Amino acid sequence: MTQIFTVTELNQRIADRLENDPRLHDLWARGEVSNYVHHRSGHRYFTIKDQGSAISCVLFRGNGLSLNFELKDGKNVMVFGDVAVYRPQGRVQLIARAIRQDEGLGFRHLQREALKKKLAAEGLFAQERKRPLPLYPERIGIVTSPQGAALRDVLRTLGSYPARIILSPAQVQGDGAEESVAFAIAALRGKADVIVVCRGGGSTEDLWCFNSEIVARAIFDCDVPVISAVGHETDVTIADFVADVRAATPTAAAKLAVPDVEKVKEDLRTAQVRIMRALWTALERKEERLEYIQQNISAKKMYSLARDARQRLDYLSQGLDAAQDKKMSDLLSRLEVAEGRLLAVGPLATLKRGYAIARTGKGLILQSEDARPGEEIELILWKGRLRCRVLECRDDEEETA
Amino acid sequence: MGLEEALDSLEEIVQLLEEGKMTLEESLDLYEKGMTLVKLCNSRLESAQKRIECLTGELPPDLS
Repeated sequence: MTQIFTVTELNQRIADRLENDPRLHDLWARGEVSNYVHHRSGHRYFTIKDQGSAISCVLFRGNGLSLNFELKDGKNVMVFGDVAVYRPQGRVQLIARAIRQDEGLGFRHLQREALKKKLAAEGLFAQERKRPLPLYPERIGIVTSPQGAALRDVLRTLGSYPARIILSPAQVQGDGAEESVAFAIAALRGKADVIVVCRGGGSTEDLWCFNSEIVARAIFDCDVPVISAVGHETDVTIADFVADVRAATPTAAAKLAVPDVEKVKEDLRTAQVRIMRALWTALERKEERLEYIQQNISAKKMYSLARDARQRLDYLSQGLDAAQDKKMSDLLSRLEVAEGRLLAVGPLATLKRGYAIARTGKGLILQSEDARPGEEIELILWKGRLRCRVLECRDDEEETA
Repeated sequence: MGLEEALDSLEEIVQLLEEGKMTLEESLDLYEKGMTLVKLCNSRLESAQKRIECLTGELPPDLS
């Protein structure tokens, strides 16, 4: 006969069976911690797992007080406790009463540490390789799941910044995620100025593809700076180490990718004011110079310049006059001397001694033949002249004879 | 001209003007250029329509 259970009855039945099984009490279970959450209430929730399987665990606050190490994802632990069923969800879980640290870390964790060491040795994390982000990117590449909340966070944060956004979709968890993310990063080659690789929060397993070598190398090979933002603040993956900049969350990544539009506008306003002020200053400077020059070419100054010039001219011309006068008097005295000498040798002096010059219209009369009887002649005396008529012309010879 | 390029030349112009070593004509010229750049940058910032493209061509409906 088949019994029909309500869900509550069924879970109750399962709980009864499991919780009454003495072999499921006071047991030790060994595994790697993941999905560790320390709740506000003080209770701790996590999963322990091995390669093949996982089981939820709860460590209530009272039992947690005796914990002597830091419980966290990746830790290998031995859990002591009882199996119980969480009835509202029919979930089998291990109620831990004590937890001991198992030797060493989880296998995956060790793997990750080995990879990290190898990539660090190759220089993939080198600080000097980190490239500065472009201040004003024109093309922003985003590698993430088109369905994820991370993409929406990023788009919202990019806000009104004017840039082309190029989504390179990737599967960010599960089988094939590593290859998908690596391929999506490579697909943006030459198409973006900055790339944001992001994924929202999730369990350590969910984020695991960002700890893979192929993703690390894809980021390393990028032709532009990469901002990584995987999970929450506390999740740090190998991708974060390789990326040029690590952001705590996708929202933070978007903030880093672009400048604040309001800030840029403010800078523009400032630039405008500075330009105007600089121009005014330049104008004022020219004005001052003009004024200075104006003062220097004032009318007063011009008059005084003219006066100076006139004075100089006067002075020069005075000198010139004096020179001229001297020259004149020199000439005059020379003239007087010459006149005197001329007089001395000239006929006047002779005439003064009583001689006279006789002449006709034809010339001087030097001998008796030069004139005819009855002809009119002129006698030039020392002072005055005489008009005379010749009475007789006689040779000296005749007289002597 | 990209926003970055425009902002770079704007900054250069502001500096040149503030040094004040130019003739008045040059200053006025630069002033004009600077104001044009300010206008250009502002209009680029204002006309910000996000253009989302998807490399596979398939955008989720709420994004496109």
